[in-house]
Amino acid sequence: MNETVHRLRTAAPALAMVLVALLGLGFQLQLPRAFPSDADYRAVAAAVRGARAPGDVVLLHPWWTERARLFLPPDLPVVAYLGHTADDLLEHPRIWVLANERLPRTPEADFRRNFLPDRTPVGTPQRFGPLTLTPYRNGRARRVGLSVVEAFDRLRISVESPAGAAAQPCHRSGTRVQCPFDASVEVAWHEVLYQPVRCLYVLPPSGGRTLSLTLPDGPAADALLLEAGITWEHAWFPDRAPVELRLESPAGVLHLRVPAGHEGFVSGETPAAAAGPWTLRLTTANPHDRQLCLRLRALGGPP
Amino acid sequence: MSRAPAPLDRRIALGLGLVAFVVLWATERPVGFVRDESVYFAAAEQFSRWWGLLFQRPAAALSDAVITQAFDFNHEHPMLMKSLFGWSHTLFHQVLGWVRPAAGFRLPAFAMAALIPALLHLWGSVLWGRRAGLFAALSFFVVPRHFFHAHLGCFDMPVATMWLLVVYLFWRAEEDLRLAPWTGVAFGLALATKHNAFFLPLVLTPFGVLAAWRSASTEGRRLLVRMGQVGLAFVAYLGLVLIVKGRAGLVQSWQLLSPQTFGVVALVVSLSALALRLRRRDPAAFVRVAPLVAMGLLGPVVFYVHWPYLWYHPVERLAWYFDFHATHVHYAWTYFGQVLRSPPFPVAYVFVVTAMTLPVSLLLPMGVGLLRTGVRNLGDLVPALGRRFGRGGETEWLLGVNALFSILLISHPEVPHFGGVKHWLPSMPFLALLAGREFDRAAAGLSSALDLTARRGRAASVVLAAIVLLPAFTLTVHVHPYGTSAYGELAGGIPGAASLGFQRQYWSNNVTGVLPWIDTNSRQGARVWLHEVNGLSFRDYQRNDMLRKDVIPTNGPEDADLAAVQYHQEFREQEVLVWQAFGTWVPATGLYLDETPQVVVYRRPER
Repeated sequence: MNETVHRLRTAAPALAMVLVALLGLGFQLQLPRAFPSDADYRAVAAAVRGARAPGDVVLLHPWWTERARLFLPPDLPVVAYLGHTADDLLEHPRIWVLANERLPRTPEADFRRNFLPDRTPVGTPQRFGPLTLTPYRNGRARRVGLSVVEAFDRLRISVESPAGAAAQPCHRSGTRVQCPFDASVEVAWHEVLYQPVRCLYVLPPSGGRTLSLTLPDGPAADALLLEAGITWEHAWFPDRAPVELRLESPAGVLHLRVPAGHEGFVSGETPAAAAGPWTLRLTTANPHDRQLCLRLRALGGPP
Repeated sequence: MSRAPAPLDRRIALGLGLVAFVVLWATERPVGFVRDESVYFAAAEQFSRWWGLLFQRPAAALSDAVITQAFDFNHEHPMLMKSLFGWSHTLFHQVLGWVRPAAGFRLPAFAMAALIPALLHLWGSVLWGRRAGLFAALSFFVVPRHFFHAHLGCFDMPVATMWLLVVYLFWRAEEDLRLAPWTGVAFGLALATKHNAFFLPLVLTPFGVLAAWRSASTEGRRLLVRMGQVGLAFVAYLGLVLIVKGRAGLVQSWQLLSPQTFGVVALVVSLSALALRLRRRDPAAFVRVAPLVAMGLLGPVVFYVHWPYLWYHPVERLAWYFDFHATHVHYAWTYFGQVLRSPPFPVAYVFVVTAMTLPVSLLLPMGVGLLRTGVRNLGDLVPALGRRFGRGGETEWLLGVNALFSILLISHPEVPHFGGVKHWLPSMPFLALLAGREFDRAAAGLSSALDLTARRGRAASVVLAAIVLLPAFTLTVHVHPYGTSAYGELAGGIPGAASLGFQRQYWSNNVTGVLPWIDTNSRQGARVWLHEVNGLSFRDYQRNDMLRKDVIPTNGPEDADLAAVQYHQEFREQEVLVWQAFGTWVPATGLYLDETPQVVVYRRPER
């Protein structure tokens, strides 16, 4: 017995090395089983195409599995960015979650904590190789009466000076509204803390002036949701000026501030608003690196 | 025990080096041009032209103006490797036409990288036997990231080689005085390779001085103290000038005839005189300190002579060089889902990334080897530990310190953390060496436990080595040529690392994965935006027949027909701008490694 123990102890380092090597090899051998084939993705696309409804969206889990974009219907929004499980996706009453849980280190805890609350499966999961496709009812969805992104052509935009001088109007040039003092507004895709967003892309005016955007005929709404975020890497600079936003609407006045160094959106919601004009004013002491992505939406109840 | 390797081990080391060189050359073609590499290629070509001028019109070539013109480009790095790249390209591509342009530049890098397994075997076989040496050599080479960096015409692997070479020669010279001058020359060449080498005296001086002190007589110790006093006096003088005049003042006042120059001359003369006296009075102590003396005398000379850019303006340009690296810009880097943009960086970063990128079957012997060395070295200081685990001694301290030095240096929260593992590569050969010892212990234990004959024991060692190295080998084969994307099993491989939020890749070389598709699927004269691929790299892809020559580069997606976006967390905006410019979020194709998007290609829809 002692001899056996002695031999085992002597051989233990070699056995440990072999064991770890075999574990490593085993991991490598089984890893390809987690990779969907093109046929798997095509089957997913066919399944979604056959069952889709207006307002549907596909959410990829884990967030980086974007090879699916190659196969999914091109007009179907696909949500896939770091932090996307916390996205309310409020314009989408149904979410197709395309998950690959066979991948190593899939962030399940994050999914349970941030995605699942207020989301209910509304169909049985379908399997396509390692992929699982599950439709969820989005309990966080709201009816969106109007978005200023869609109403961009109706916006009246001008620059106001601090001393109370007359506002200087901006003019439309192609798809962009060009303003005095280097300000501009357009509808464009940009990134706010890794989230691709189609938004009002605003370059604020210089000299501490105020950019004013007015929608003369805002609809009645349960709430107005204002979101503003600095785009891309400009957001993290800690020494830049904050951006102040002031929304005047029939629901009253809503103040928002995008602080220096803040990455991601800041958002605020008004109480119920009657139909009437909305005026959003934004100003910053220094527009350097303050490229802003803005969304303003009139929200109703659940769809 | 002699520190010289046996003749057979010299031949094995030569064989290892040759095999490594051939393997690197044979696997070079698909490796993309990392951002800096094409800059070094261009610099190498420029310097080659200067060498040509030197032979044709030496008087003109040696003038200040011509030297400045020739060497100003990329003067943030010294010249040794770029000169070798340039000469090799001229000879093997331009003159002989044996290789494509990129291979012409890269051949010296292969040779430098191939020295590492050779040196590891030379050292490991003397320390712990042939089995340890061979395993150390192979375990360094089969790590996917090491294998990748060994292909590049850059300086990270060469400086890892030079670091190892200097420390090895230093160790040998502590026993064999004939190797001391070679240590000095190697140190000079290390300085001429990359700035990491400036830390070598910091690492080696305590070893040389302590070893000399231990073996010195009273007279020898008196001379050693005097040498220390001279060195300290010079440092104190420089410190005083720095305080009084400031950095700019010190640089400006340092002329050919200035107190500072006198100080340097006095330092060199005094130390040389004291060293000569030590040699006469106490030869045993001198042998121990001789490698340091050689490094101090020959290193700066080699460094200065090799770099014509310093010849006319040594102080001013050296000051700029140090300043550039001391205040290097921080590039964004992704770590556990956070984009690190500025210091302070996480202290554990280097350890974590090392653990995540090494194949786990090599992480184990490297980690245990380092731990054992640490405990044994502590055993030198704490007798109880020494009795239980054994004592380290000078060599083990040397290995342990060098295995940790670069790792700890980059772990400092204020030091730039970009670049994957390349910045602490000089530590890795030493970890491989310690892994060699662990393997040797394990193999010896196995033979003993199974009562194997010597012959069967060797066979068992080969089988054991094959099993332990196989996961790393398969990982390297699997990921090649996309080595900057490689992650080990601990991270969950490439997909696991993506979920953990680690840097997906860097330096844009993975674009080679989509170039064949672009060649096949783009129209004649197509305008292509290769995101993060600089103009020189674009040119290199075309002149190495990796991209059609009629394809036109653009600076952004706005005027491009095709866009290939490198997936970096901090560059997500760039991909979204392609959506905006092309009006689609649907890629045309991409390079997806184990499902992870690396390079995503978009095509502008037909109007």
